[in-house]
Amino acid sequence: MSAHPKTPEIERPSIEDRLYANKYTDHEDSHLGVFEDETCLDCETYDCVSVCPANVWRNEGDEDGVPLIAYENCLECGSCRWACPYDNVIWENPPNGTGMTYRYG
Amino acid sequence: MTERPNFDDYFDAIVVGAGLAGSAAALTMAQQDLEVLLIERGNYPGAKNVFGGTMYTPRIRELTGEGFEDAPVERHLGTKRFGLLSTEDETAMSIKPGQWQESPHNDTYTVLRGNFDEWFADQAIEAGATLITETTVTDLVREGESIVGVETDRPDGTIHAPMVVLAEGGNSLVSEAADLKETDPPEKVAIGVKEVRKYDRETIEERFGLGEDDGAAYHYFGEGACGGGVGGGFIYTNKRTLAIGVAYTISDAIEDDRKPDELLSDFKEHPAVAPLVKGGRVVEYSAKSIPEGGASSVPELAHDGAVIIGDAASLLLNNGIHLEGTNMAVESGYLAGNAIVEAIHAGRTDAAALQSYPEELESSYVMENLQNYDWFSDFAHDEKQFLFQQLPKALTEAELEFFKQDYEPKETHAKRAKNMLLRAAGGWTGAAKKAWKYRKLLS
Ligand SMILES: Cc1cc2nc3c(=O)[nH]c(=O)nc-3n(C[C@H](O)[C@H](O)[C@H](O)COP(=O)(O)OP(=O)(O)OC[C@H]3O[C@@H](n4cnc5c(N)ncnc54)[C@H](O)[C@@H]3O)c2cc1C
Ligand code: SF4
Ligand code: SF4
Repeated sequence: MSAHPKTPEIERPSIEDRLYANKYTDHEDSHLGVFEDETCLDCETYDCVSVCPANVWRNEGDEDGVPLIAYENCLECGSCRWACPYDNVIWENPPNGTGMTYRYG
Repeated sequence: MTERPNFDDYFDAIVVGAGLAGSAAALTMAQQDLEVLLIERGNYPGAKNVFGGTMYTPRIRELTGEGFEDAPVERHLGTKRFGLLSTEDETAMSIKPGQWQESPHNDTYTVLRGNFDEWFADQAIEAGATLITETTVTDLVREGESIVGVETDRPDGTIHAPMVVLAEGGNSLVSEAADLKETDPPEKVAIGVKEVRKYDRETIEERFGLGEDDGAAYHYFGEGACGGGVGGGFIYTNKRTLAIGVAYTISDAIEDDRKPDELLSDFKEHPAVAPLVKGGRVVEYSAKSIPEGGASSVPELAHDGAVIIGDAASLLLNNGIHLEGTNMAVESGYLAGNAIVEAIHAGRTDAAALQSYPEELESSYVMENLQNYDWFSDFAHDEKQFLFQQLPKALTEAELEFFKQDYEPKETHAKRAKNMLLRAAGGWTGAAKKAWKYRKLLS
């Protein structure tokens, strides 16, 4: 629903619909991870989840667990790396040109 | 990729990253006959790059000469518009100077990085530089304190060269791992998320009041653009696409209950924005970080055997009114390239021999601008409630009062509107204090 009755309806695409438009090449190993599982188990804020624009980091269903990482969605913005208050995010560039390829940019 | 000649020890300089800064450095050095290797992690230069945006081109135009006529620009910037959004209202200002409509168009163009960066890297190749793509630099090679080459993710991936230019952009993993740069806190880095949507050319030109070649940049601030955060929303017109996005600091993204993609959807649904972006179809969804730490985040720029340029060195200006990084990336690449040519000719690559790079940068507009606006990021965080939430709301209320049609005289409405604004600013003393605090924004 839009904010104003006369405002035109705007498509509100899901992450999946948005990502569907992108060109992506898979790499077998995740380029993301966490250094210490323990740190995530103690973490209360899940800032990695809050800032990720592509729903890569997920703590659905397991409120206190280590987040799931759907690395194939990653837009390679790096935000999770700065967001984690404990510097617990492992972040590498996907190797050899894999990952997202932006055609527009 | 097929057999590759042995690159080890063949080149004078290795440039890490074929973005704007990297290609500017490679082009500058190749034009002065250095052997340059440009290494890019994407499938092609530009494949990993995202911006708003408008490209500022004075130095690119000078470096590429006649080649600039073939630069893949979308539209020259003819209109700039600033809109202050509360949750339902907009107050806006638009400028369309005649001078911008004439060549060289104030050296400002909307472009798509996918093809612009590739073209710019091609200029470096034509000048003699060698480009390898799909290759990620994973580390630096040192001999004692000096940097003497790079490790890559290729088989036999170590490549030695006297100079390494770090042009890896804001997500500067290599520089940080090598302790050449500290990792910024989340208040000093912004996240930008963006949808590229495709429309008919006529639709874009009608909606934004454009001709065939001119374009528009619409910048939005306030709660309706990006919640209570320090940042804003944007729409840029390309030929057949619109770039629609929001950018705000990572600490604000942590605070906001919405995720960045939800914030983007909310921005698109704002009553002042929706009519401009309705319809079309999404052809790309992207995100990228923006180093906004300003002068205080700029690391040591010259090291024994290496320099840092562009976003990797935090050479980006965001003071609310200007978001500029493309020009400073290119300028730093150009100045660093010249410094390296000079040092190599003198048979040296130590930090002292490279000092003309930080020195020239210091006396250029780049550091001048960054130092001038260094107060902005702290200021915006301190003042964010007033700037981005209270002010847009107070403005709308005052405007409604000022233009109100009823049985009272205009003077009464004007007085009341003025009082409303004054109250929002905290009375006469509050307003005087704010005016003093805000004076720098326009100076
Ligand atoms: C959302 C957003 C909007 C913006 N809007 C504007 C605007 O309107 N106007 C403006 O002037 N500026 C804008 N900017 C800023 C501007 O985009 C940057 O300042 C500019 O792109 C910096 O150029 P760069 O060459 O330093 O870095 P980048 O453009 O990021 O290039 C870095 C290059 O290095 C490569 N690379 C990285 N690591 C490695 C590695 N380890 N090995 C090999 N290659 C590597 C990358 O693939 C990339 O090609 C915006 C930025 C964002 C994110
Ligand atoms: S990665 Fe960091 S922010 Fe995310 S759950 Fe683990 S500790 Fe918390
Ligand atoms: S880099 Fe960006 S898109 Fe990728 S996981 Fe981190 S926050 Fe999400």
